[in-house]
Amino acid sequence: MHAVGLSIAMGLYFWFANLRFGYTFSGMLKQPLCVALVVGLITGKMADAMTIGAGVQLMFLGVTSTPGGNVPNDPALAGTIAIPIAVTVGLSAQAAVALAVPFGVLGVFLDQLRRTINATWVHMADKDAENLNYRGIYRDAFLYPAIIGLIIRFPVVFAANYFGRGAVQDLINVIPDWLMHGFEVMGAILPALGFALTITVIGKKNLLPYFLIGFVAVMYFKADIMAIAVIGTCIAFLVRNNALKEEA
Amino acid sequence: MENKVEKPSTEPIKLSKKEVNKAFWIYQLGCELSNSYERLQSLIFCASMIPAIKKLYAGDKEAQKEALKRHLVFFNTEGTIGSTVQGIALAMEEEKANGASISDSAITSIKTGLMGPLAGIGDSVIWSALMPIIISIFIPMANQGSAIAGIGPLLIYTLVTMYISYVLIKRSYSLGKSSITSLLQNGMIKQVIYGANVLGMMMMGALSASYVTVSTPLKLHVSGGSTIVLQSILNSMFKGLLPLVAVFAIYWYMQKKGPRYGVIIGSIILVSLVGAFFGIL
Repeated sequence: MHAVGLSIAMGLYFWFANLRFGYTFSGMLKQPLCVALVVGLITGKMADAMTIGAGVQLMFLGVTSTPGGNVPNDPALAGTIAIPIAVTVGLSAQAAVALAVPFGVLGVFLDQLRRTINATWVHMADKDAENLNYRGIYRDAFLYPAIIGLIIRFPVVFAANYFGRGAVQDLINVIPDWLMHGFEVMGAILPALGFALTITVIGKKNLLPYFLIGFVAVMYFKADIMAIAVIGTCIAFLVRNNALKEEA
Repeated sequence: MENKVEKPSTEPIKLSKKEVNKAFWIYQLGCELSNSYERLQSLIFCASMIPAIKKLYAGDKEAQKEALKRHLVFFNTEGTIGSTVQGIALAMEEEKANGASISDSAITSIKTGLMGPLAGIGDSVIWSALMPIIISIFIPMANQGSAIAGIGPLLIYTLVTMYISYVLIKRSYSLGKSSITSLLQNGMIKQVIYGANVLGMMMMGALSASYVTVSTPLKLHVSGGSTIVLQSILNSMFKGLLPLVAVFAIYWYMQKKGPRYGVIIGSIILVSLVGAFFGIL
């Protein structure tokens, strides 16, 4: 019933989050946890949406910003398509993660497209500077990228939501059990990619023992994530002087 | 401020809180919005300087044009820590407007010289450590279906990063360019990055243990009718061996071949489907 409404909302959300209005604000808005909140509010299935959002989020944990801003994967596109479809069709969190994968990669191309188009506004700003057109520069920096963003982004997510839901529903009715289980296995492994990527971005091999401490604390001692955060902060404080030795 | 000599007769023009605040907000709101492959953040950096340029070079249209143009050159950094560059650029423009002999290239080279190191700090603290750590804390809540996990990270991350950014633009503007070189050599920044990385590593380990849930259903039928459950053998060796293998296999691949996302995802899909088909995973 609310298929159209949900599709429109997701299209607009994707546009607004990837508009990057507000640097860190939009950076977080792009994350699946935040997408899940909106899906939960619209569908009324908050618990399902957040659980699925958590699953999709894990895969994208390390995918934030890389030098030069060339993000290898787009959590916002994956989230605004996989989460609403998974919630309305009733997929498991793992299956939702598998569904999110291709869209995350597709998102990169959309971003490359807008950055290419954005070069146009810089040239307009060159002219505006020459004519001391201050309002023009503001428009080049905010208004035009926003408009072109809407044109590039909205249709993709709207269409994927509007038509994708039925397609996914049909697919689920026909795929064999082993394949469905295969998707769940995928969902069980894919978060590893997010973690591996974060370790890579941190980029310090000699800190890997701390990874194992966190791993064992949860695996064997069932520590809460909050406990790890507090212990981790304490350890970080205790060993901070190693930073200076490292350089020397 | 030691360069503020010459121009004897007139009162020095000072930027007020208003222009600095405007620069802060314009850049914070739009620093990635107009990002283009050609000059990345040049457009927004220029836009953020407009209020200051208007005030400093009021009545001198040529000087305004030149100022706009010199801030339209290539610029790119991490937006949170990068506000430091804005503060310095504002301080330099102020000195220049008051008659100090600062060339265009001096301003540009300070900007381009700082943007790299500051982006390095910002990427490793703000995006690679702070963001995943804040999200990590809320993941268990999300898993239990709580809506707070959707709003909590958004509020905390935004407020913390904007506060940092605001302090930096204020400080760097008032201290000027001399401060930054000393700041960059200051050991404290290294300690902060190091500490954030240690915490980040531990959080990644903890989350891997909770959320990489791959296991094997494989049972070996031994002669005599008894069965051996492979997973329980693995558990008795090291709990969570398969998740650990998964994380480190991907990690080592990325170390060797770089972050080749497509190959890695393709391999995961292949392993999952083949494993599921043969009942290994």
